[in-house]
Amino acid sequence: MTNRIAQLRKERRISQAELADAVDVTRQTIISLENGRYNASLLLAHKIANYFGMTIEEVFLFEEEEA
Amino acid sequence: MKERLKQVLPVLGIVCGAVLLAAAFLLDESIPKELSGALFGVAGVLMGLGATGIFMDAAWRKLSEDERREAERGEKDERNVAIREKAAYSSWYWTLYLLWAAFFVTLFLGSGFPTALVSVLLVLHCVFLMVNMGRWAKRM
Repeated sequence: MTNRIAQLRKERRISQAELADAVDVTRQTIISLENGRYNASLLLAHKIANYFGMTIEEVFLFEEEEA
Repeated sequence: MKERLKQVLPVLGIVCGAVLLAAAFLLDESIPKELSGALFGVAGVLMGLGATGIFMDAAWRKLSEDERREAERGEKDERNVAIREKAAYSSWYWTLYLLWAAFFVTLFLGSGFPTALVSVLLVLHCVFLMVNMGRWAKRM
């Protein structure tokens, strides 16, 4: 699973710390999500998508072979 | 109330530990060696836990409001929770391998009681896993 968090964050000039504060996780979690080392839970994915005003599918890209 | 308890318990631990330590020294000759050892052991544990509690409390007080909020967030952060769970999972296997190693060492040394003891620990180690799996299966 890949995601567009870093891209969306940069487009909107939001820091990792601000996003972390908004979705109530640590900055390290945001860094790991952006690097693809950690996959968000459904709840966190929902919070992040909500923060950007988008759907989960628009932020998180599911790849067929992982399903 | 909870905060007060957090402050009182470590001090109480040190006081109880000191009392047990003093008792172990004073009663040195008049009590069995095993009891003396147990007194020293429990005193050490209580004083160690108490000192750690006081140190942790002092470190917590030094943190700013933002740092405290960050530390609290870190406690329930889902990635940190996942890390703790994965670490606990692999620790279970490492403990299992160590117990198997200890089992074979005692077996080759031909010592009866340690082999039986390690066998019991091996079984308990696996039983606890199964019991907890059962508990979590009911909850999820």
